Amino acid sequence: MGYGRSDSYRVATTQDKDEKESPKKKGGKDLDDLKKEVPITEHKMSVEEVCRKYNTDIVQGLTNAKAAEYLARDGPNALTPPPTTPEWVKFCRQLFGGFSILLWIGAILCFLAYAIQAATEDEPAGDNLYLGIVLSAVVIITGCFSYFQEAKSSKIMESFKNMVPQQALVIREGEKMQINAEQVVAGDLVEVKGGDRIPADLRIISSHGCKVDNSSLTGESEPQTRSPDCTHDNPLETRNIAFFSTNCVEGTARGIVVCTGDRTVMGRIATLTSGLETGKTPIAKEIEHFIHIITGVAVFLGVTFFILSLILGYSWLEAVIFLIGIIVANVPEGLLATVTVCLTLTAKRMARKNCLVKNLEAVETLGSTSTICSDKTGTLTQNRMTVAHMWFDNQIHEADTTEDQSGSSFDKSSTTWVSLARIAALCNRAVFKAGQESLPILKREVAGDASESALLKCIEDKNKKVAEIPFNSTNKYQSDKHYLLVMKGAPERILDRCSTIMMQGKEQPMDDEMKEAFQNAYLELGGLGERVLGFCHLFMPEDKYPKGFAFDTDDVNFQTDNLCFVGLMSMIDPPRAAVPDAVGKCRSAGIKVIMVTGDHPITAKAIAKGVGIISEGNETVEDIAARLNIPVSQVNPRDAKACVIHGTDLKDLTQEQMDDILRNHTEIVFARTSPQQKLIIVEGCQRQVLYSHANNQNPKLCGLLFCQGAIVAVTGDGVNDSPALKKADIGVAMGISGSDVSKQAADMILLDDNFASIVTGVEEGRLIFDNLKKSIAYTLTSNIPEITPFLFFIMVNIPLPLGTITILCIDLGTDMVPAISLAYEAAESDIMKRQPRNPLRDKLVNERLISIAYGQIGMIQALGGFFAYFVIMAENGFLPSVLVGIRLNWDDRSTNDLEDSYGQQWTYEQRKIVEFTCHTAFFVSIVVVQWADVIICKTRRNSVFQQGMKNKILIFGLFEETALAAFLSYCPGMDVALRMYPLKPSWWFCAFPYSFLIFVYDEIRKLILRRNPGGWVEKETYY
Amino acid sequence: MSGNKDSDGGWRKFLWNSEKKEFLGRTGGSWFKIFLFYVIFYGCLAGIFIGTIQALLLTLSNYKPTYQDRVAPPGLSHTPRSDKSEIAFSISDKDSYTKYTKSMDDFLQPYDDELQTDQMKFEDCGVTPQSYRDRGSLEHEAGQKKACRFHRSWLGSCSGVGDTSYGFKEGKPCIIVKLNRIVNFRPRVPSDNQSLPDALQGKVMPNLIPIYCKNKREEDKSKIGEIKYFGLGEGFPLQYYPYYGKLLHPQYLQPLVAIQFTNLTMAQELRIECKAYGANIDYSEKDRYQGRFDVKITVSS
Repeated sequence: MGYGRSDSYRVATTQDKDEKESPKKKGGKDLDDLKKEVPITEHKMSVEEVCRKYNTDIVQGLTNAKAAEYLARDGPNALTPPPTTPEWVKFCRQLFGGFSILLWIGAILCFLAYAIQAATEDEPAGDNLYLGIVLSAVVIITGCFSYFQEAKSSKIMESFKNMVPQQALVIREGEKMQINAEQVVAGDLVEVKGGDRIPADLRIISSHGCKVDNSSLTGESEPQTRSPDCTHDNPLETRNIAFFSTNCVEGTARGIVVCTGDRTVMGRIATLTSGLETGKTPIAKEIEHFIHIITGVAVFLGVTFFILSLILGYSWLEAVIFLIGIIVANVPEGLLATVTVCLTLTAKRMARKNCLVKNLEAVETLGSTSTICSDKTGTLTQNRMTVAHMWFDNQIHEADTTEDQSGSSFDKSSTTWVSLARIAALCNRAVFKAGQESLPILKREVAGDASESALLKCIEDKNKKVAEIPFNSTNKYQSDKHYLLVMKGAPERILDRCSTIMMQGKEQPMDDEMKEAFQNAYLELGGLGERVLGFCHLFMPEDKYPKGFAFDTDDVNFQTDNLCFVGLMSMIDPPRAAVPDAVGKCRSAGIKVIMVTGDHPITAKAIAKGVGIISEGNETVEDIAARLNIPVSQVNPRDAKACVIHGTDLKDLTQEQMDDILRNHTEIVFARTSPQQKLIIVEGCQRQVLYSHANNQNPKLCGLLFCQGAIVAVTGDGVNDSPALKKADIGVAMGISGSDVSKQAADMILLDDNFASIVTGVEEGRLIFDNLKKSIAYTLTSNIPEITPFLFFIMVNIPLPLGTITILCIDLGTDMVPAISLAYEAAESDIMKRQPRNPLRDKLVNERLISIAYGQIGMIQALGGFFAYFVIMAENGFLPSVLVGIRLNWDDRSTNDLEDSYGQQWTYEQRKIVEFTCHTAFFVSIVVVQWADVIICKTRRNSVFQQGMKNKILIFGLFEETALAAFLSYCPGMDVALRMYPLKPSWWFCAFPYSFLIFVYDEIRKLILRRNPGGWVEKETYY
Repeated sequence: MSGNKDSDGGWRKFLWNSEKKEFLGRTGGSWFKIFLFYVIFYGCLAGIFIGTIQALLLTLSNYKPTYQDRVAPPGLSHTPRSDKSEIAFSISDKDSYTKYTKSMDDFLQPYDDELQTDQMKFEDCGVTPQSYRDRGSLEHEAGQKKACRFHRSWLGSCSGVGDTSYGFKEGKPCIIVKLNRIVNFRPRVPSDNQSLPDALQGKVMPNLIPIYCKNKREEDKSKIGEIKYFGLGEGFPLQYYPYYGKLLHPQYLQPLVAIQFTNLTMAQELRIECKAYGANIDYSEKDRYQGRFDVKITVSS
């Protein structure tokens, strides 16, 4: 007796898939080949043919000589690891990738400049050398940090290997022998029993109640029967093939090995997964873009001042050193560390909210995601069959399917229900595992198959006594005072055996009316995507079947028809409670949620409707056709916003048709898809360009190079999902139910298996993107007050207002904590109400950010610093007028009687102390103006008064940077160590007016920005 | 504006988009607006900056800098000055020392007697060291102060009057030493004899800051020979102090001491350290010119 329709639904696969469908030849021919479906044909051959093909014998097995020959030919039965990148290469990637390269170039330029100086001057200034060393140190330290952060990941092949069995029982030359699974070759005769792992792809030749668990391949946990008969053309669906690394749950079977190692179905998935190249993360692309901008600005400034200094009469060599100096001064030394720390903090925060991020850069990816392809089982649903509906007394009753039993219950007083429950309990081999009495029933673990467990859980809490009645577990007959025959199974087949039906506890003859009612109920429940079971019983007449009657189940010697129909129970894997809300949030956040499942279209659609992936009121083409009562072909596909696509249809689609479907439907369900198809769907989604958002971008104008596709997240838990997980921009695996392989292939793991956690991920991702902008704006701003002193030093020959060491103190000292604290900033508006960012237009760093940071705030900051410089110089006797042009004498060691504005004479060392005091004051001034900067960077649109100062880390940062600045200035010994000198208290206040000016200016800017949305101020200054 | 910087076509289009009449991603009007904005913005900033600088200047005194803690105690500087304080020349080669004599000529030029004739600006302050000559308060009494004359002839054989080579041609080089000017600074004579070198012990004169040179390295002791000091009292007499600053004291001549090394061992680098001694003259480890200096002299034939 089978279930409603459970027996044959498996992954849809074909052998003749069109080459055209394989997308861009990224991984070369091999990978494209793997994306095609499984080429097994042995299931269609007779056992003899298979034997002939592999030169084996159905009883004796291979000869040892043949086995050795095959082993030499095919290689061991093991998964070949992909060519692994050596650790040092990975380390070098961390060390030289992305942002680091900028710092390296800076460091090299520094060393170059120092070399030039050392070669040409007698006493070269050590500044460039120190700077080069510090830059290298920063890159190496952050490189090591990220390397260790990510060292744990990318163990895909290892996790596949864990699935491979160690030993196999083969029959060679008629002898059973236990051999190492690696030694198994094609043609070997293999025996498996319950509890074993299948050592290779097997063509079953005989079986005894053999069931295998294919969940690692298909994601469906229901064990499947294996038998020698070919039941389906598709090798993945036929019953006579058992797959490498799947589990034999019960029974025994004997089969001939048809594929080994990488040629097995699992091997192909493993090779495909580990071989897939993944693109750069969105944040990596953003950082690249940022580097372009920064490099552009640096080179522009450098070349401009190179030419200017040549015009001013500097020598070529000096000009080159200036050029290098300016380019290096533009490098934000601390930013790499800041970004890394910000991402790490967010990753930590997400981990606390059950999103474990494996790859730091993936932290932001969810925030940019515009499409989520979600697996159904275990992600959207509870992965637990639950009785959802019952039909008895000619009425459909709804059972409670919520995870926490909070739902309503139905009337259980009917005697029909008692009978139904009794049948369900008797026809049940599932039992609760021991020692769980304290747990609520639904949480208890059950030994047994999924639907029987569901029945057990459904009835157990109501009729404890019934379950206590001892009964024979193998057959469906039960003796008490008199024998009661109970039966469950596919409703139509149960109905065929029934002549009466129970209504309100009384048997009534089954008439046509009742049959129609049954049909309607069956259809309705089936239409809900539920697995329906029929239940019937028969009180066996005591005269015919006296006590001790010997029932023979093999040769049925008792009545099995004219039974009494009791009712239907239907089961479904119900959606998780939090999912509909989460899907709704995703939708309002502009994210398209697509369901991709190996399950039946009807079930998939029902769940999709249940969780809102197909929202209420949206119809598929089929729905419209049914409503209008016209053939499907006459419906305009554009009318349907939703669609359900079957795996078998998917294989016939061209790339264009696929794109068309993805573009024109907002609500899509892919059912019965194979792992390879999941991959194709993900690639299709990634090709989608966000035309809707980029409405001012002509799609044609947007050349191939610029158009990044949509950013796609994939959730999944099975091995079958792993290629898609790997290919996705961000793969999300399930922490509890997920297989090891899927976790390794993914970038993020949901520790609580809850789709709703993805929403958290999206929120955090978007927040960190916004906050990184703020952080970068903050950090970049201080670049201008750092570089202008050098420019003025060159152009107007004043003593250097700010030295290299003090610049490093800002970039790697005082700026760090405030910049990082911006990562803790709360969102300004509801970030879940806006569209995902368009990777084409919404850049992390754009011209407007540079314009604000460099052109406006940075300039005010520079003035603040210069003011402090002039104050100190003037108060020590050097008025601004005398400073201009003084540089040559000032820096001349032999001039020890340099006159100031008052006629006083200064030794070299005396005036250098004043100069370094100026550096210190300039540094302190930058700290002071950075107070205002961090406060204005808290928000991009809102006023600080709206946002509030609730960010405690930021407040800490303000105090910390001030304390650090004071420490650097006043700590004894700093004059020797860093050449920083104590400041007179009044000099701390020089930059205060400028700090205040920054705050007022930016508040006014943001006020105009808010008052006048879309106006010039927004267009030019909203970053 | 963004995103189109990667390919060649994109570059060209970015540079000049003929369709939208955009140069570097902006139309002419857009360029004008942003340019105008920045002109006004920077104009305002410049105004604010100049304003604050003016405010700063208002707080400063014309006569005396706000802080003098960095310039005092005074440095001791010498002429001719030289890179890495090395003076190396050859007696026979005139060119090897002309740069030194030239700088000494230039330095002593203001001390020519004919420039000190104006009675309104100069006065005689005696030929022996005397006490400070107070010329009134710095702040309140406006008007220029008179300066004490300092005759070049007081520098004797180092005055450059008789011997224009300042002894260089005979291998007896002179250097001229001055105590750096500091507004309103009154150097004080050494308070006790303990700190003075033996040679100066007992020779202390009141109202004089003495100066004394000796070998820096022990092994040079016998090679330096006699050192002669010229100048008013062979030191810095106190009547030349205090200095009233550039504005009130434009003709001020600071007292000089000439030091002649009369018997230097030839063809050897000799390190000589000169120190001025006073109660408020300090020396610093790091500053080699504060209250002292050392100079390396190599005379070859």
